[in-house]
Amino acid sequence: MITPLRSVIDWLDDRAGVRDLVNEALYENVPGGARWRYVWGSTLVMAFVTQAITGIFLWMVYSPSTQTAWESVFFVEHSLTGGWLLRGLHHYMAQLMIVLLALHFIQIIWDGAYRAPRELNFLTGMILMLVVLGLSFTGYLLPWDQKGYWATNVGTELASQAPLAGAALKKLAVGGSDYGHQTLTRFFALHAGVLPALLVGFLGLHVLLMRRHGLHAKDPERGPDCTFWPDQVLKDSVAALGVLAVVLALTVWKGAELGSPADPANPYNAARPEWYFLFLFQFLKWFPGELEIWGAFIIPGVVVTVMFLMPWIGRSRAGHIFNVMLLILLFGGSAYLTAQALYDDNFSAMNERTEENQARYDASQAFLNAKQEAERDAERVVELALSPTRIPPTGALTLVYGDPFLQGPKLYKQHCAGCHNYVDPADPDPNLAHLVNPAPTAPNLYGLGTREWIGGWLDPERIASKHYFGYQGSPFTSDGRNSEMFDFVHESLGEEVDDEQRQTIKEAFQKVAAALSAEAGLSSQHAQDLADADLIAEGRKLIEGGLADVLDSGASCTDCHTFGEMQDIGSPVLDGYMSRQWLLDFLSYPADERFYGEMNDRMPAFAPHDDPRMNQLEQKSLELIVDWLRGDWYRPEHPAAASDSE
Amino acid sequence: MANPPQLQDSSSSPPENRRSFITVFAAIITGAGATLTPLLAGLVAFFTPLLRKSKSPQVRVALLSQVPGDGIPRYFPVVADREDAWNRYPQQRVGAVYLLRSGEAADPIAYTAKCPHAGCQIGYQSGDNLFKCPCHTSSFNLDGSRSRGDEEVSPRDMDRLPVELRNVELDGGESVTEVWVEYIDFQTGHKEQHRTA
Repeated sequence: MITPLRSVIDWLDDRAGVRDLVNEALYENVPGGARWRYVWGSTLVMAFVTQAITGIFLWMVYSPSTQTAWESVFFVEHSLTGGWLLRGLHHYMAQLMIVLLALHFIQIIWDGAYRAPRELNFLTGMILMLVVLGLSFTGYLLPWDQKGYWATNVGTELASQAPLAGAALKKLAVGGSDYGHQTLTRFFALHAGVLPALLVGFLGLHVLLMRRHGLHAKDPERGPDCTFWPDQVLKDSVAALGVLAVVLALTVWKGAELGSPADPANPYNAARPEWYFLFLFQFLKWFPGELEIWGAFIIPGVVVTVMFLMPWIGRSRAGHIFNVMLLILLFGGSAYLTAQALYDDNFSAMNERTEENQARYDASQAFLNAKQEAERDAERVVELALSPTRIPPTGALTLVYGDPFLQGPKLYKQHCAGCHNYVDPADPDPNLAHLVNPAPTAPNLYGLGTREWIGGWLDPERIASKHYFGYQGSPFTSDGRNSEMFDFVHESLGEEVDDEQRQTIKEAFQKVAAALSAEAGLSSQHAQDLADADLIAEGRKLIEGGLADVLDSGASCTDCHTFGEMQDIGSPVLDGYMSRQWLLDFLSYPADERFYGEMNDRMPAFAPHDDPRMNQLEQKSLELIVDWLRGDWYRPEHPAAASDSE
Repeated sequence: MANPPQLQDSSSSPPENRRSFITVFAAIITGAGATLTPLLAGLVAFFTPLLRKSKSPQVRVALLSQVPGDGIPRYFPVVADREDAWNRYPQQRVGAVYLLRSGEAADPIAYTAKCPHAGCQIGYQSGDNLFKCPCHTSSFNLDGSRSRGDEEVSPRDMDRLPVELRNVELDGGESVTEVWVEYIDFQTGHKEQHRTA
């Protein structure tokens, strides 16, 4: 060895006894030689070290409050260089740690390594396992996304049912009656402070005790003894690298999930705990009513207590066999329950709906729909947060509440879908299946204001369908009270019209549709409207009376409707037809003389009063519905489109 | 660190013993005082949530005209001011209720959407004759009772909330009837209702 280095080591050894320390740490005897089966404990230490390192770096970015938790995790994931990798490592290593714990535990029981004098090793190990589960539970909430929020909510809600101090415990954990800032600060303090400190303390004890009693050799006569360094260390390191490879693969392949921001007002209907707690979730379904405490506390409590007592139970051969049987029962049972939970949730994807299974099928379908919807919501929020406006100081939930794309379908479902249909008749979108009304009592609003949609009003076949005026109890068909429009379209393109004439009329109607659609000022048609300026001008002339020259009947739009130069004719007024303001006014009071007046037989007035207390819907909700129906929402590929519409 | 053999040695001479007792006692008291004071201060702050009482808010959830008397439940968000530590959020959605009326003359009945089992939000699809909870598959009849009685995982029927109708005179001399509920948060998992606050 180089002399200066040696003298430094000598100096340290004189004062701190480093040579003894190093010898003790590295030259531990491994009876029977290094083996692969001894690596699991070391991989757990390595997993914990990974969590500590990645955790501390995540800590440097994370900000625990309801307006910043999701936002800072979003920042890690989408703005920090390699942030996705850092978070992915932390996320998947946490999951793998559970697997490694299970392997380590199974091996200890199977080999009987818990027996005297190693009882305390085992007890500290059990405590470590509970600490790691605590870290998993607290960590799941910290991103403050819908999934973590609602799953943890169920978790603490269950904890509050614990006998005696349950309700108080929940209040302490949550920091009050409701989830909020204090829940995050407390969970974070547990996750990054209290539990890691416990873990370091007990891990130190666990390793010290292990060294004191030596490695529990399965088969000490197998070969010559060796020392921990370098033989066993090499095997441990290879195993650690293998674990890391799995974590990296998962990170690159799937990435750590980040749902949409936690919204206390909109429950996440696919709330499930992490996969390693799924067996408990499923177990609870077995216990109806007040028997729940058996499933949630008594049985798990007894099982954990018995597990703590395993070293004493295992003193006799029969006791050891009991422990091994219990181990098989526990892991087999958990695996079975987990599989059952997964099967229940995916039931509708694997089975046909029948009389007998409909409840189960529907529950599963609802779960899968909620999950898919949540994934779409999450993608959308990220899209909004990455937009040039970024996240406002009030947090990402403000983005969610102000986005027509996210709120429109919800408001529509609540206020409009009872009567109106929303479906592309040519190509139904499975994502919007929940907005389909199979028996509508009002027109289909899909593609409202577009040339295609307006064209339907001028097509005899389509206007008679349920998507336009052919819905149940319509007063606008030929046998209804207000059949003028319906009759006009049918007479204009009736059977007596010859082919040449039909072609001319159809072309005229196309121009009318283009001109009327231009009134809507849809951002999706902006470019097309600009390009077709001449066509639209011709269409305007036709609406203003020119149609009378094309049709034998001599009728035209402005016989009934007000438009352009032909003012004060009648309603609905076609100026600004289906534009944002036209629609807002219309939804507020459809019976206004500008709209349907006395012809309005069913459309409710959502905001007819100046005093907002009297109205069914406030202005903001109306705007969200209108913007959604018109397709006016931020699109990353056309950042200008959103600002145009504002 | 204390050294037990020495303590035993000192017990052989009485005056020494008394002195060492006082020393031990004083050491424990001062040491404990020094370490426990900050711990106590921390614990008191930590236990604050247990000392705070919250009140169930009275909330206007709808206009009476929004609840037709057809016996079909209608979903309404509960919007109230919410305080969270240092923030006050005016007019936040804090939960949801279902209102239903079994006839035009009847008063509305209000059910909180929070499931009595584990607190998930119970769903309702128009056309169904059951409320369904998405988490552990509890289901309830439209009168709030558990559809499979005691076989249901939920320990009790859906929680009804007190409803109050208020007539409001507006500037123009018109009046509207508003539906107000006391939005009570109940503990989950028990046969009887217990308020959380």
